[in-house]
Amino acid sequence: MRWVLGVAVVCMGNAVLFAQDSEEEIFFEKKIRPILVDHCYKCHSKDSKSLKGGLLLDSRQGLRKGGDSGPALLPGNADGSLLLEALRYQSLEMPPSGKLPESVIGDFKVWITRGAYDPRDVKLDKNSDAKTINWSESKKWWAFQPVQRYSVAKKSDIPWAKKKTDVFIFRKLQSKGLRPSIPATRRTLIRRASFDLTGLPPSFQQTESFVNSKDPDAYEILIDRLLASSHYGERWGRHWLDVARWAEDNPTVEATNPPYPDSWKYRDWVIQAINDDVPYDQFIRMQLAADLLPDFDRKDLPALGYIGTGPVYHKDPRLSRHVIETFASDDWDERVDAVSRGLLGLTVGCARCHDHKFDPISVQDYYALAGVFSSSWEVNRPLVDMAQDEEERLIWAQDRIPRLKLAIDLLGLPATPSTPEQIDALKRELESLEKTPHLDAPMARAVYDAGIWIDGSDPDFTWMDIRIGEARDLPIFIRGNVSNPGEIVPRRFLSVFSEGDDQKFDRGAGRLELANSILEKAGALVARVIVNRVWGWHFGNPLVRTPSNFGVQGEKPTHPELLDDLSARFVENRWSLKWLHREIMLSSAYQQSSSYHETAVAIDPDNKWLWRMTPRRLDFESWRDALLVVTDSLDTTLGGPSLELDMEDNFRRTVYAKVSRSQVNPLMRMYDFPDATEHSPSREITTTPLQQLFVLNSQFMVDRAEELAESVRSMKDSQTAIEFLFRKVLGISPDENQRELSQSFVQELNQSGTEDVWSVYCQALLGTNAFIFVE
Amino acid sequence: MTSTNLSQDSHCSRREMVASLAGGLGLVGLSGMLQGRTGKASSPVLDFPAKTKSVIFLFMTGGPSHLDLLDPKPALHKYAGQRPKSTQLRTERVTGGLLPSPWKFKACGQSGTEVSELLPGIGSCVDDICLIRSMYTFNPTHTPARNLMHSGNIASTRPTLGAWASYGLGTENEDLPAFVVLSHPRSGKLWRAGFLPSEHQGTLFDQQETSPDKMIRYLRNAHLDRAVQQKQVHFLQQLNQVHLRSRDTSPFLEARIKAMETAFRMQFAASEAFDTSHEPQYIRSQYGENPFANSCLLARRLVERGVRYIHVFSGPGQPWDDHDKIKENLEGRCPEMDTAVAALIRDLKQRGLLDETLVVWTGEFGRTPVSEAGDGRDHNPYGFSVWMAGGGVKGGMVLGSTDEFGFQAVENRINVHDLHATILHLMGLDHEKLTYRYAGRDFRLTDVEGRVVNEILT
Repeated sequence: MRWVLGVAVVCMGNAVLFAQDSEEEIFFEKKIRPILVDHCYKCHSKDSKSLKGGLLLDSRQGLRKGGDSGPALLPGNADGSLLLEALRYQSLEMPPSGKLPESVIGDFKVWITRGAYDPRDVKLDKNSDAKTINWSESKKWWAFQPVQRYSVAKKSDIPWAKKKTDVFIFRKLQSKGLRPSIPATRRTLIRRASFDLTGLPPSFQQTESFVNSKDPDAYEILIDRLLASSHYGERWGRHWLDVARWAEDNPTVEATNPPYPDSWKYRDWVIQAINDDVPYDQFIRMQLAADLLPDFDRKDLPALGYIGTGPVYHKDPRLSRHVIETFASDDWDERVDAVSRGLLGLTVGCARCHDHKFDPISVQDYYALAGVFSSSWEVNRPLVDMAQDEEERLIWAQDRIPRLKLAIDLLGLPATPSTPEQIDALKRELESLEKTPHLDAPMARAVYDAGIWIDGSDPDFTWMDIRIGEARDLPIFIRGNVSNPGEIVPRRFLSVFSEGDDQKFDRGAGRLELANSILEKAGALVARVIVNRVWGWHFGNPLVRTPSNFGVQGEKPTHPELLDDLSARFVENRWSLKWLHREIMLSSAYQQSSSYHETAVAIDPDNKWLWRMTPRRLDFESWRDALLVVTDSLDTTLGGPSLELDMEDNFRRTVYAKVSRSQVNPLMRMYDFPDATEHSPSREITTTPLQQLFVLNSQFMVDRAEELAESVRSMKDSQTAIEFLFRKVLGISPDENQRELSQSFVQELNQSGTEDVWSVYCQALLGTNAFIFVE
Repeated sequence: MTSTNLSQDSHCSRREMVASLAGGLGLVGLSGMLQGRTGKASSPVLDFPAKTKSVIFLFMTGGPSHLDLLDPKPALHKYAGQRPKSTQLRTERVTGGLLPSPWKFKACGQSGTEVSELLPGIGSCVDDICLIRSMYTFNPTHTPARNLMHSGNIASTRPTLGAWASYGLGTENEDLPAFVVLSHPRSGKLWRAGFLPSEHQGTLFDQQETSPDKMIRYLRNAHLDRAVQQKQVHFLQQLNQVHLRSRDTSPFLEARIKAMETAFRMQFAASEAFDTSHEPQYIRSQYGENPFANSCLLARRLVERGVRYIHVFSGPGQPWDDHDKIKENLEGRCPEMDTAVAALIRDLKQRGLLDETLVVWTGEFGRTPVSEAGDGRDHNPYGFSVWMAGGGVKGGMVLGSTDEFGFQAVENRINVHDLHATILHLMGLDHEKLTYRYAGRDFRLTDVEGRVVNEILT
């Protein structure tokens, strides 16, 4: 009854309105509604496939409430209404398919001026409410909870278990009707552990002595030896460089975004820090704010390369403020992404245009973080001590000189409006800046606190306006559009991690406060994210299979208790990565065989539950390094400037190859080396014919084969040579089958009068699956 | 994670999914492999019937002037040197007054589409061409605008159109890459796969070279003759089979064995496909003898061999970036391009291939009606022309228009996302459904934009 009454009242209400406003009604129905329906509803109605700008134009309420840019109309004030501005193509340009005729725009003006009569009365869609973030609910998400240790049954109850992690794994296997595999042979283990920890194969002698050792602790001793090797840092530093999307130049190389000649110092800093087992929390803190820590030593400046060597767009000063600010905001966006996905496993970048659709990250959160980077000036900083003002002058000069040179060139063009006085003034400034002391000092690519604005006051020339001693809180750029700024958001950490106290960052850019917030407020998440990555680098698959997305759209952990427990103990063990490696590698799970098992594969084809060790293909670096090792060609020098990968005499480890964003090395790209223009959660491993063309035909492979062939040419018979080569390349003696195949191949080549028989043979051996495969 | 797991179920391409549904990979006998064989991949999953099998994307690097080539504007003469209010738009550089085109436009073909006298060849093909005079894009500088035209975003990270096509449709010929790029090697990285699996990235062939061995790295072995290499591969595969046998089954090991077979065959398949000396002289002279013409001819040969997406750059550098001396520049540059492109269309048509091949011609933007340096034109993202021919678009059609000076697209405005949506549509793919989950969300080539331009479809 009430329901019927309610409807009746509404209808009557409308009827009354209709009667009073029949003239308005006719105007609306004839002149306004059809236009809205034909030109606007497709993108701005509740039936739109994707609603644009958060704006609904299919109801009175929708128009008055407006969208992301605010109310669409102010009844009575046509010229102040966004709707009219958009129709006139003054700010927004609507409809995008073309400006409507002047007469139609005139109708809208009349309509709004007369009060914008609109009978389309609806309750606004509930969806708009559902989109707001429920903070208290979302704090309950698993990844945001504190990490905790779990007490488990004694290991002795599960004879298989060598480490606590094994208990969790064994139970899961049991519950899935699976059993662990038998232990791997020592021959397999040493190859697995050596590649895993150092990215290099063991020699045949090392293998033999490990296989024949009577010491029951031989495996543990092996792990400790590998962890102590400086090659360990080269291998695990490279893992981190994927996360850090480290490179030595920019996607384009132009006047305002030149290459980073000192970028290799970040790479070396990472390798050293990993070798020194710098606690992971400190490792992060230093990469965001080494210069702000109490015991700061300038040799740690390169750590700031995590931010400082990020990709930057060229900012041609002839472009408008809008375009330059778009480029700058893309740079900041990249930093937000590198920090949030890299360290926190959160896709904060999704909140650039609107609140995150799934995770508790608001658009305010995004700009609160982005503000740290609009206040962090990416510059070269001296590695020698000097006073603060002296350093600031030096940084300023370094940054300003190329911009001045560009400006002088551009203003000198006949088309550019300029006066000789203007150019002279710039030239004088350049001259004086070039006299700045210490311009030739050794430098590191780093950051320095300074607010960055875009100066669009000159109609012809857009300058970067960099203010040392200031920080720039950003406005929300509505829908990511820099020319549509909303409220200004103070710099602070993500709200979901704060206890109602949105503490603002006020020390410089706020880098140290950001680092401390990440580690203190979100420490549990940070620990989970790195423990999960390390697990994945050891096992081939992480426990959370989306290692840079721990949000709602990411995967849940396969072993949540294991991940929690291991993360908790990792933090207790002073965030030590070497502790973590031992914990993982000394487990029974890690030491399993990788053998195929039909029943197990039927139950768990992905090896999610770790019933065996997952066999893997070597990544590009390990494969190339191994090719150099087994052909006695590897130069083991540590650190220093990068070399072009393809240089004929580059025999250094692949981690020292130049990494470019503008000219990605084709060979590295072909072998799945990530594009360093953005954070890389994990490597996709592909198998393509082009890779095999490299195996068959490249000079590099031909040369490796030739080196190897040289060592057997003087051997007394082919039997000996084949034995030697199998041991050298694959670390095994050939079995009967392999020996026979080899013999008959060598014989066939000899009979057909082939020159360089051993080169042809060696190249085949180096190209085998057995060589590129780790079990 | 740096090493592969062998049965990762995340991100497999649609083609892989189809292939795995079709059953496990069988090992091809070695004798079959050495005889050579034309492999056809399983048919892809289409959202609608494909109107085109292949795309040839002709990219005029630098931003060709629509005002001198495809979009006649008599008003430029009337207001020469003046700067009416509607032309006061900010572009990359400082501009002056309106610069009339030095060339006449002629009504061509049955359709009467007006094309500049600089392009007599393309003019003679207008009845097969759908000309869009109302394109616009979102950035006035080269790299971001090129990224937009290739990947729908200004960043240098997103997957490119060809990579999306390869991801969505796979290859028709397993002996050749699905996405072939014919370019000067320094043209940039506009054929990246971005976050798509890297097998979808374009394979670069150096268009400055004419010998196939030099066009692609590692294509031929400089030391071994074919017979010896055949023995070598045979032996290598035998070792791999022994290794595989003791491991029961492994998709990775099998895939690498198969990749070796394909690589071995590709040496000969690619050498044959990329060698234009197999073409009769009269065909070669129709296209002309220069790197761009050779690339156009190769594109046709690749279409015949089932290559999905062929991207031809007009380069090196950015030749169409005529900031000054536009008259001399275009007079010098147009004939080679015009002759080659017209020959391509005619050749495809004669062979009955034009119906299933989409040819797209565009730059990253157009040029300004107002002058730069007195005799050149600046970048213009607000309005420019592109055209398409064959593969499901209407010939002899003109869509949309720019304002009276050719600065801004006004009628039937089409942006890069719309163009991409339409190209995918013609290939049988729904741009809203072709997605890839990455960094927490599903990405599309067209982001949240894009409208299929139905008006131009047959």
